[in-house]
Amino acid sequence: MSLFAFLGAVEVGLIFALVALAVYLSFRVLQFPDLTVDGSFPLGAAVAATLIVTGVDAYLATLAAFAAGAAAGLVTAWLNVRLKILHLLASILTMIALYSINLRIMGRPNVALLGEQTVFTPFAELPWPGYVTTPLALGAAVVAVMLALNWYLGTGSGLALRATGANPRMARAQGIDTDRATLLGMALSNGLVGLAGALFAQSQGAADVTLGVGVIVVGLAAVIGGEAVIPPKVVWLATLGCLVGSILYRLAVALALNSEFIGLQAQDLNLITAVLVGAALVLPGVQRKFGRAIGRGRAP
Amino acid sequence: MKALRFAAGVALAGLLAAPALAQTKSVAITQIVEHPALDAARKGVQDELAAAGFTEGQNLKWSFESAQGNPATAAQIAKKFVGDRPDVIVAIATPSAQAVAANTKDIPLVFSAVTDPVGAKLVASLDKPGGNVTGTSDLLPMDQHVGLIRQLLPNAKRVGILFNPGEANSVTSVKQFTDAAKAQGITVVEGAASKSGDVLAAARSLVGKVDAIYVPTDNTVVSAFEAVVKVGTDAKLPVVAGDTDSVKRGAVAALGFDYYDVGRQTGKMVAAILKGGKPADIPVETVKKADLYLNAKTAPAMGVTLPDALLQQAKEVVK
Amino acid sequence: MIAVEDIKVTFNAGTVLETRALRGVSLAIPESQFVTIIGSNGAGKSTLLSALAGEVIPGEGSIAIGGTDVTRWPTERRAGLVARVFQDPMAGTCADLSIEENLALAAARGGRRGLGAALPRALREEFRERLARLGLGLERRLGDKMALLSGGQRQAVSLVMAALRPMKLLLLDEHTAALDPKTAAFVLDLTRQIVEEGRLTALMVTHSMRQALDIGDRTVMLHEGRVVFDVADERRRGLDVPDLLALFEQARREKLSDDALLLA
Repeated sequence: MSLFAFLGAVEVGLIFALVALAVYLSFRVLQFPDLTVDGSFPLGAAVAATLIVTGVDAYLATLAAFAAGAAAGLVTAWLNVRLKILHLLASILTMIALYSINLRIMGRPNVALLGEQTVFTPFAELPWPGYVTTPLALGAAVVAVMLALNWYLGTGSGLALRATGANPRMARAQGIDTDRATLLGMALSNGLVGLAGALFAQSQGAADVTLGVGVIVVGLAAVIGGEAVIPPKVVWLATLGCLVGSILYRLAVALALNSEFIGLQAQDLNLITAVLVGAALVLPGVQRKFGRAIGRGRAP
Repeated sequence: MKALRFAAGVALAGLLAAPALAQTKSVAITQIVEHPALDAARKGVQDELAAAGFTEGQNLKWSFESAQGNPATAAQIAKKFVGDRPDVIVAIATPSAQAVAANTKDIPLVFSAVTDPVGAKLVASLDKPGGNVTGTSDLLPMDQHVGLIRQLLPNAKRVGILFNPGEANSVTSVKQFTDAAKAQGITVVEGAASKSGDVLAAARSLVGKVDAIYVPTDNTVVSAFEAVVKVGTDAKLPVVAGDTDSVKRGAVAALGFDYYDVGRQTGKMVAAILKGGKPADIPVETVKKADLYLNAKTAPAMGVTLPDALLQQAKEVVK
Repeated sequence: MIAVEDIKVTFNAGTVLETRALRGVSLAIPESQFVTIIGSNGAGKSTLLSALAGEVIPGEGSIAIGGTDVTRWPTERRAGLVARVFQDPMAGTCADLSIEENLALAAARGGRRGLGAALPRALREEFRERLARLGLGLERRLGDKMALLSGGQRQAVSLVMAALRPMKLLLLDEHTAALDPKTAAFVLDLTRQIVEEGRLTALMVTHSMRQALDIGDRTVMLHEGRVVFDVADERRRGLDVPDLLALFEQARREKLSDDALLLA
């Protein structure tokens, strides 16, 4: 594998680590199966691209993308909390609606960003090559987001969010407004996804309405894969696992693309994803079995 | 002794010369999704390169990856290819081309089947691309298509157009068709289908509102073309297509080009670059040759008589 | 002072499954009184507790806590006034969170949850201290996940959680029913201790007539959604289980036939 492809995998992995963190927040912390991400990812891309092309500062545009994603998350949560629609269905409704909304925002299915001023442009002007500085800058940004999320989940408000997902009845008995917590958590989660979409569009040259296909699967693969590698005993291990899982997934993809001797091609990626996620789900159980056999395991 | 040294010298020279003589060029192709037209284009590139003297396995290293419709995969394919530093990267369809262009400013990129290269910001202008990117655009000469419809139905006033608003190429095609139609006094009614399952309903929605249906080179609608033909025959509504394969599947007429030919046109540009040309100097090409295909079987079923003038012009008439 | 005025609760009103769980219950509970509630299955005990907690809103009647009418308040709004220990140890705690995180949740009951740290050092110290008093060694396991604790340990922690911050009413919903006799006795003892120490106003639902008489100041029996008898203080002190049965028959002019209630 060339250095360029390796760093490229890291770069894409870091962008999707934001998606993994978002999926961790919705699926794991809030226990809210959220498919909105397939719509909020291209929404972030659409908002950022459309704004950048009309001359808005790239950083502001990216912030707007975060806000747009958060709004999408709020809609899904509102459908669930106020209209009492099942969370999975509520998220599907929002996702479907966003397809049309994204087309409206962009005005056409593809908004090109090649040659425009993006958040990555300042890094291209540094003495080091872009394919090194971009992953480094992204790494710093994503780690910052991860640390911020760790801090937040340790605050009173963040703990209330965790309780809402862990045991909503008990949470209410402790005075937590679970409706509000759900709205806040979903907004935060999809805001991160919108941010990821904006960054992806800027790094890959265009916002396209098809960007959302399969984002949730990738997010889940990253979260679950990360949990297999780093058991999520505490919050900071879980979020770190999201980062690691996402990057490992992308490296696996890069490996599949680069391993002609195995004969794998990009077409086989869906199968590879399924095998990876399956292995990640089974592996912890296998580890425990072996641990017990050697006498090191802890009784369940 | 002298003979040995001489032999060694020849051998060494031979070893050094061999790579220079049989210098292997590498071409990497990235495709957004697999699809008969795009695959045909790829084959066209491959065949043209062979005709120009570049054969896989001998002096050509050929890599191909399809992103299976997944933009993140397209991004990683682009990064892999840029890291491998081939002599030319060929990108089929807009998203794949943009992904490559975002990752390299110096490796030559030749795109194929991109309808609007300027809109996609791949090149500065069609005549002077100016960077490392050039290629072939599958822009359809829409005024000719409108003209074809008028030749079949001289009294047509309204034409329906079926497309997927989510396909960038189609949106451009629809706009150009509508402009060309307006210039020739015809109003256009749009029928949208965002996935192949919606095509039947979209086609039905045009019945009674239009005199003919036109189908551009839209991946979604073309994949469900039989549904459009069914509506056409049931409602006696002539269906005209933008790609020639659809005539075999039931379209009355098509003025199109073969994506294989587009591929070969692209292949010529790739060969030129492999032989030393620079993308910045090679203008973007649009397809010149348009062939007329007619279907004499479905014509009466759709309520149309094929004029002799057209039958004579046709490259192929399906019976 | 808790004032329950003639509350009526009906589930699935107007359908075939209509259940009139409470058909007009009134109770006045003065401060620091410990009331035990007994009754056969379907008597309405849990529904009464749910109405007091805010999980069920009565169709008629009113509930006032400390003078404030809370009848229509949802659970989370009432949490500052009402603390509750559930029968199921899983229901009252978050199994996936640690012991100290659960305690932190309870410590914020009725308060604002902002961006301050949920577990500052001072709070941890308070938790360690409170748990040490249980004598179960849990003060050394603050970081353990709640799921690792046994049922009895979890109920003990639930009690500590409930008493962590001030309340006007403590609801105990058959909280020893899921435990073995020895652990049940431990938890009951702990309950007595905590209620006495804090001079709490408490309502305990129990399935055991024995328990109902042994603990607290007052015993109320519900049957078919109504209060059947209500004994306290002097009158109650001399009573034994057979006396309760006689009281019931007298009030209802029917024999009590709930095995669980009779045998407990």
